[in-house]
Amino acid sequence: MSAPSAHPDNTNIDRIHTAAHREKADLVAGSLPAPTWVIFLGFIVAIIAGGQLGVMTGGYQFETSNPFATSIAADPRPKAVGGDAGGDPFQVAMKKGAGGYAVCGGCHQGNGLGIAGQFPPLAGSDWVLGGTERLIRVVQHGLTGAITVKGQNYNTPGGMQAFGAAMSAGDLANVLTYIRNNWGNEATMITKEMVEAVRTKESARTTQWTASELAAFEKENVPGPIPAGPGADAPAAK
Amino acid sequence: MDTSTANAELENQADTTRRAAIDRSVKGPVLFLFLNGAFWLMASTILGVLAGIKAFAPEFLDVSFLTFGRLQPAHLTALVYGWGMQAGLGIMLWLMARRSGQELIGGKSLMIVAGVFWNIAVSLAIVGILAGKGTGFEWLEMPSYLWPVLLVCFLVYAWPMTRMFARAFRPEGFMVSTWYVLGACFWFPWIYITTNVCLHCLPGLGALGAGVNAWYVHGLILLFFTPVAVGAAYYFIPKITGQPIASQQLAQIGFWLLAILGGWTGMQRFMGGPLPAWMVAIGALTGVLLMIPVGVVGLNHHLTTLGKHHLVATSPTLRFVFFGAIFYPVSGAILALLSNFWSGLNLQFSHAWYGYQVTAVYGFFSMTAFGAIYYIVPRLAGCEWLSVRLIRNHFWFSVYGIGTIVVTSLLAGMQQNADINVPERWDQSWMSVVMNARPYLVARVIAWALITWSNVWFLIHLGLMVAGLGRRSAAPTLLPSHHDETDSALPHGANA
Repeated sequence: MSAPSAHPDNTNIDRIHTAAHREKADLVAGSLPAPTWVIFLGFIVAIIAGGQLGVMTGGYQFETSNPFATSIAADPRPKAVGGDAGGDPFQVAMKKGAGGYAVCGGCHQGNGLGIAGQFPPLAGSDWVLGGTERLIRVVQHGLTGAITVKGQNYNTPGGMQAFGAAMSAGDLANVLTYIRNNWGNEATMITKEMVEAVRTKESARTTQWTASELAAFEKENVPGPIPAGPGADAPAAK
Repeated sequence: MDTSTANAELENQADTTRRAAIDRSVKGPVLFLFLNGAFWLMASTILGVLAGIKAFAPEFLDVSFLTFGRLQPAHLTALVYGWGMQAGLGIMLWLMARRSGQELIGGKSLMIVAGVFWNIAVSLAIVGILAGKGTGFEWLEMPSYLWPVLLVCFLVYAWPMTRMFARAFRPEGFMVSTWYVLGACFWFPWIYITTNVCLHCLPGLGALGAGVNAWYVHGLILLFFTPVAVGAAYYFIPKITGQPIASQQLAQIGFWLLAILGGWTGMQRFMGGPLPAWMVAIGALTGVLLMIPVGVVGLNHHLTTLGKHHLVATSPTLRFVFFGAIFYPVSGAILALLSNFWSGLNLQFSHAWYGYQVTAVYGFFSMTAFGAIYYIVPRLAGCEWLSVRLIRNHFWFSVYGIGTIVVTSLLAGMQQNADINVPERWDQSWMSVVMNARPYLVARVIAWALITWSNVWFLIHLGLMVAGLGRRSAAPTLLPSHHDETDSALPHGANA
C-alpha cells in the first residue's frame, strides 16, 4: 500500500505531486499579543469559576458530600400531625389511587360514570359505597353475570376481569379509596391491611364472583382501623 | 537568468517532492482508518436514529437486543471508538508526519494490523452491547475484556508519532498543531488506563466509580477529541487562507490551559451527589474555567480567517473546519453551562448531557475531521473528489442535523429540569415529565436521519476515492460560489 501505482496515470510524477504542489506554504505563526480585553474577559470567567469553590468544597473533607444538605428547604411532603414522616394516609392514598385509576378508567371512564348498558358507573354506586368486603372481592377476583347498579341492569359478556392478582395490596387499597371518595362519593378509606385480610380469606378463589354469591357481603365491612379520611376511627397518632 | 530564482524554484520542487513522499508513506494506514471510520460513522448514525425512535416509541422493533438501553450505548460506542478515534488517529498520523517533515519509515504493516484489531474490537463491542453484555459504564459499555486491545492498538499508532515529533524538521519553528497531536498521544492512554483500571480492576469503588466514569467522558472529549480537532484546525485554516496563525501567544495560552485544566473536570456531573464535595467543586471550577482556553482558541481561529471568509464558500476543507472551529466555543459554552452550580443543577441528568456529547463529538470534532479528510484524501489517493454536490449535501445535512440536536437537547434538558426541580410537585407523575420531552426526541430522530443521509453518501464518496476512482485532474474540487468570477483570474486556487 505504499505507492499509488494502481493506475498508469499515477506514474506521472506531475500528477502525483499536483496536490502537494498547489499547497500554500506553512507559515511562522504571527506575533499578535493577547489583546487586553481578552485578559479582562479571562479574569471575569475566572471570578465566576472561582464562585464554584468556596463553601461548595465542603472544607475539602472527604466526608462531606453535600455542603448544603442541612440547610435545604424543608421537605414539602405533607406530614401528619406530630411529625409522622408518612404524611396523611388518606391524602396519600387518594393521590396514588388517582394514578392507579388509569386502568379502571378504560371501562368505567374518567368521570366514573361508565358507559350506559355496558360498564356500570362507580359514582354514586352502592357497589362502591357499600360494604368493603364486597368491593374488595369484586376488584380482586372479578365479577361476571347480570348485576343491577343504580336501577340499571348490566350483563357485559365476560364481566369484569380479576385485577387484584397483578397489583400489590397497597396499590389496590389506594385505587379503592380513590373511587370511594371521588365524583361526589364519600366513604371510609380501604387500607392495605383490609385488602390483605380478604386475600387471605379467599386465597383459594380463582374464578370471578357472581352477584348472587356476593349478596351476603352487601353491607359487610372488613374490620380494621381506618386511620384517616371519612369515618376515621383512629385519629392520626399524636 | 537570476540564479536565486532558479534556486528557489529548485528548493520549492524539492519541498514538493518531500511532502509527496511523506503523503505516500502514510497512505495505507491513514486511508484504512478513514474508510473504516466512515463506515462506523454511518452505522452510528443509523443506531442513533433507532435509539431516538425507541426513546419515544418503545414498542417499535420490540426485541430485547434493540431496546433503548442497548441501542443508545451502541450508538455512542460506534460514534466514539468506531468513527471518532479512528478518524482522529488518521488525522494525527498525517498531521504529525507532515508537520515533522518525517516519512513514516517502519511499522506500516503493524499499523494496518492494529487497525484491523481496532475494528474487530469495535465490532465485538457493538455486538456485545446489543447482546446485553455491556458494562453500564458510560462510553465504556463495551465488554471489559476489550479495553487492553484498544489500548495496544492506540499505542501502535502513538509511538511512531512520538518518534516523528522527536526527529522533527521544523523550519517554521513553533507549530501548535503538533503539540496538540503529541498531547493526544499521551493523554488518551493516561485517562484510558486510569479509568479502566479503576472501574474494572479495583473492587468496590461505589459512588466514586460513577465519578471516575464521568471524568473519563469529559477527559476523552477534552484531552483527545479536542486536541485532535483543534490541532487540525490550526493546521488547515492557515493552510487554506494562506495567512499565518494570528497569534502565537494566544495559541500557547490555549494549549497550556487546556493541558492543565482538561484533566480536572468531570465529577461535577454528580453535583449534589454522594461524592466528596471538593471533587465536584473542582470539576465545576475547571468546567467553567475552560471557557478561557476555548475562547482564546476560537478568537485565534477567527483572526486567522479574517478577510478570507470567501474561501469558506469555495473550499470544502475550510468550510467544514470553519464550522467545527465555531463549534469549539459552542461546546465549551455548553460545558460551562452544565458545570456550574447554578445552571448545572437545572440541566443535570437530562437530555442536555447527550446534547453536550453530540455537540463535542459531532458538531466540533467530526466537522473538523471531515474538513481534514477532504484535504488529506486527495493527496493520498492521487485523485480528486468526484462530486461537489455530495460534498455540499454532506455539509448542509450535517449542519442542520447537528444544529437541531444541539438546540432541542438543550431545550429538552431545561424543560425536564424545570418540571423536576420543583419540590412542591414531589408527587407529580414521572410519566408526564417523560411525555413532555417527546417532541424534542422526535426532532432528534429527524436530525439523526438527516445526518445519516449525509454520511451514507460520504462513505460512498470516500470509498470511491480510496479505490482510486476519483476525478483525474490537477485541479481540486471546489464548491462553486458567486465569487467564482473574481477568483477565476487566479490559477486553480490553492484552496484545497
